[in-house]
Amino acid sequence: MMPTLWFCVVLLCFLMYLVLDGYDLGLGIATLLERRPDRRRDMVEVVAVAWDGNETWLILLGVSLWAGFPAAFGTLLPHVYLPLVVMLFGLIVRGVSVEMASQRPESSGWVSAFGWASLVTAGAQGFALGALGSPVETTSRAPTWFAVVCAVLLALVHIAAGYAHAVRKFTGELQASAAARGRTSLIAGAVLFVAVVSTMQATAAPLDLATPARAAAFTGLLLFTVAGVVTAVVAFGTASRSVVAEKVPSVALAVSVVAGVLALLAAHYPTVGAGFDLASAAGPHNTMTFLLVGVGLNIPLVLGYNLFAHHAFRGKAERHGHLPTGHPSPEGRRVNEHEATH
Amino acid sequence: MSLLDLSRWQFAVTVMFHMTFPAITVGLSILLSVVYGMYWRTRNPVLLQVFRFWRRIFAVGFAIGVVAGAVVTFEMGMNWGQYGARTGAIIGPIIGMEVVTAFFVEAGFIGVLLYGDGRVKERTMFIATVMVSVGTLLSSTWIIAANSWMQTPAGYDLVDGYFEPVDWWRIIFNPSFIWRWPHMVVAVLISASFFVAGISAWYLRRGRALEFARRSLSVALGIAAVLMPLQLFLGDSVSGAVLGTQLSKLEAIEGNWEGGNTGFVLFAIPDQQAEANIAQLDIPCLGSFIAKDLTCQTGVPGLSMTDAADRPDMAATFWGFRSMFLAAVLMFALAFTATVLRFRDRLWTAYRFHRVLLWTTPAGILAILGGWVTAEAGRQPWVVFGLLRTDDAVSHLAPGAVLFSVAGFIVLYVVMLAAYVAYIVHCVRVGPERDDPRLLVDPVHAADHEVAR
Ligand code: HDD
Ligand code: HEM
Ligand code: HEM
Repeated sequence: MMPTLWFCVVLLCFLMYLVLDGYDLGLGIATLLERRPDRRRDMVEVVAVAWDGNETWLILLGVSLWAGFPAAFGTLLPHVYLPLVVMLFGLIVRGVSVEMASQRPESSGWVSAFGWASLVTAGAQGFALGALGSPVETTSRAPTWFAVVCAVLLALVHIAAGYAHAVRKFTGELQASAAARGRTSLIAGAVLFVAVVSTMQATAAPLDLATPARAAAFTGLLLFTVAGVVTAVVAFGTASRSVVAEKVPSVALAVSVVAGVLALLAAHYPTVGAGFDLASAAGPHNTMTFLLVGVGLNIPLVLGYNLFAHHAFRGKAERHGHLPTGHPSPEGRRVNEHEATH
Repeated sequence: MSLLDLSRWQFAVTVMFHMTFPAITVGLSILLSVVYGMYWRTRNPVLLQVFRFWRRIFAVGFAIGVVAGAVVTFEMGMNWGQYGARTGAIIGPIIGMEVVTAFFVEAGFIGVLLYGDGRVKERTMFIATVMVSVGTLLSSTWIIAANSWMQTPAGYDLVDGYFEPVDWWRIIFNPSFIWRWPHMVVAVLISASFFVAGISAWYLRRGRALEFARRSLSVALGIAAVLMPLQLFLGDSVSGAVLGTQLSKLEAIEGNWEGGNTGFVLFAIPDQQAEANIAQLDIPCLGSFIAKDLTCQTGVPGLSMTDAADRPDMAATFWGFRSMFLAAVLMFALAFTATVLRFRDRLWTAYRFHRVLLWTTPAGILAILGGWVTAEAGRQPWVVFGLLRTDDAVSHLAPGAVLFSVAGFIVLYVVMLAAYVAYIVHCVRVGPERDDPRLLVDPVHAADHEVAR
């Protein structure tokens, strides 16, 4: 009972991370496709105010897995060592460059670093998730290909989410181009998702739809995914019409991502990743009590902080402007030059 | 080099890199809260200028601290999978508490602290700033609880090599936590003070932004003057706790192989194999004095009293401690001098003293790194002291994979550190003038204003 409850917390962290950091990784990748420096900078600014809160869900995901299922943490992480290392490299460069880019707007190198690091991070995460679908001891190459497809899939989903967020944050031309590109990447992502699910049978984590209940849950949830994708594809086209319409793509996309993950989980539970059985990995009773009371009761507060942070920067990004925030601006340069001539 | 050595090097490099940033950001966040609170009440524009300038340096340091911290957490499972699996039931929940009570607080309010000025109400700004410092302090508390439990485990049960919690109170308030926690918190405040003092001293020497520089220097040295004596007391108490619980660590700190030396070893080149020092320099009787015996009769224990298989590496422990200790003596002398100068009203014109301060900008950070090398290298060969050996804690990875990651982290971290230092130098050169709210009416003329002065 308690391990199952705690597993729900782990799952919550996973979903929160996927949805929240998804949009900011996606916006990061999207900067690579944008030529105009001022627009790239605007996109970075949108990420700068939120990335830390979003990334903290990844840390809570790691730690809640560690605390509740120590054996799984100690076995699964070494199994995907290299993709995780690459992900960490990506996260490091990303965190540093987003802050540098917004503190020193005159150097465009950091903006590019931010874009590439976002792509590397998303790819490595997709690869790691794909690799967790293959057995711990394996020598064949097929699982690697499966993981590569997962990497591309995750990157596409993130890009779509990034554009969906851009639609909410920008107006005019930038909003229109985001909607068009968001739709393209979403359609590509949907096609790849079908490919992944249909090849899953050949991995170590084949879908288990033996009982009617499982089959029903799986198809039911998949319907939500499909509905979400269709809604988002349509809504990208009508986003510029009203303040409500521009929120629809991101919400629909979040619903479809959550439903997709839950569908796959329904077809695997209680086995997660690399054939690992959850029950056997659960920590002792005393730990579970402490976790549910100490950490669990804090989760609503944590969601509150998240809401607060997003609320403080709600609305269009352009409106916030850059001054008088004590923020980087051209005068920094000028004082510098005058200082140099002394 | 074995897989174990590679994993140890990787951990040491990544964790020391992480520690460098809290050493700057925890203290700075508290400084920011105090300064913003004062500004909010008095509306003195210099205070807003002080706030904005230090916030620039804080912002990037905080970001690097966050991503470097994430690395360390994942390594606990990636490189130390056996450790992760065996201690997870105890360490995991503690770090879990850190994430929900500290990291999310920091993360939730940092956006407002960094980008909210002018976009949100002043009250919201102030609350956000205070919440970030509360978060950093809570973070230090939980992480020290976790690490202290590994030094002096308590309140656990050992079942088939797996640790299980029995009494959470004793786990968190374990014997060494009581002294190490205040020692650590005071340490990060001191390191931030010397960091701020060094940069402010540069402006005083240059005769630039004087009003700003005097405020900053005065606050920083005032804090150091209060905390340095306190830290000497706390450090001594920590040593006392180590003597009682981790004798092998204390033996390595002292730098003697045979017990009974009443002097204090100032310099030594230990040879672990030969169980002797190749070279050694003592201060007679000081060892006995530190043990509170002024008659010069109490000797300190030596490392040969510990089984060869259970000995830490003397060189790392000894030199880690010496760097912390020597930095402490230096910083104490500086804080003392500053107080004397202040009473004589000469603090603003003591240019040679300012130059010394400039050179000691990183002194506190180096002391902190030295302290951690002492604590961690001195705990070896154990991860959980006396119970779990480091070579039983490591994951069985392909050595090539770990080689790749060690090399990658080193390259990346050198680049990031260089970028951060370059950024600080850039910010300092540009100066706090651009942060002065009185001049920010119009950026173009603000610069002219500066020229006219
Ligand atoms: C003095 C206190 C201190 C010490 C000893 C440590 N940390 Fe730390 N850590 C902090 C003080 C801190 C901090 C002040 O809270 C952060 C936030 C930004 C920064 O620069 O440091 C931080 C950030 C931070 C983060 C990112 C948090 C976020 O997302 O906001 C993680 C995951 C860790 N740390 C983990 C660790 C681990 C596993 C450590 C042990 C080796 C560790 N920290 C030692
Ligand atoms: C920021 C603070 C810390 C610093 C600077 C630090 C530093 C170090 C260093 C230098 C080593 C290598 C020792 C050696 O190999 O001789 C080490 C080892 C280790 N530390 Fe820490 N440490 C810190 C905090 C912690 C905390 C809070 C934990 C656990 C919760 C921890 C867990 C470990 C483990 C598992 C090892 C064993 C690996 C090894 O021997 O290299 N450390 N640490
Ligand atoms: C002469 C004064 C000092 C003495 C006698 C002293 C003593 C010690 C000892 C014995 C340890 C090892 C504790 C353990 O392994 O459990 C330690 C650790 C440490 N010291 Fe100091 N210290 C002094 C000053 C300082 C100063 C000035 C700083 C920083 C500004 C500092 C920062 C640290 C840190 C960060 C650690 C590692 C964390 C810990 O183990 O608590 N110390 N100190």
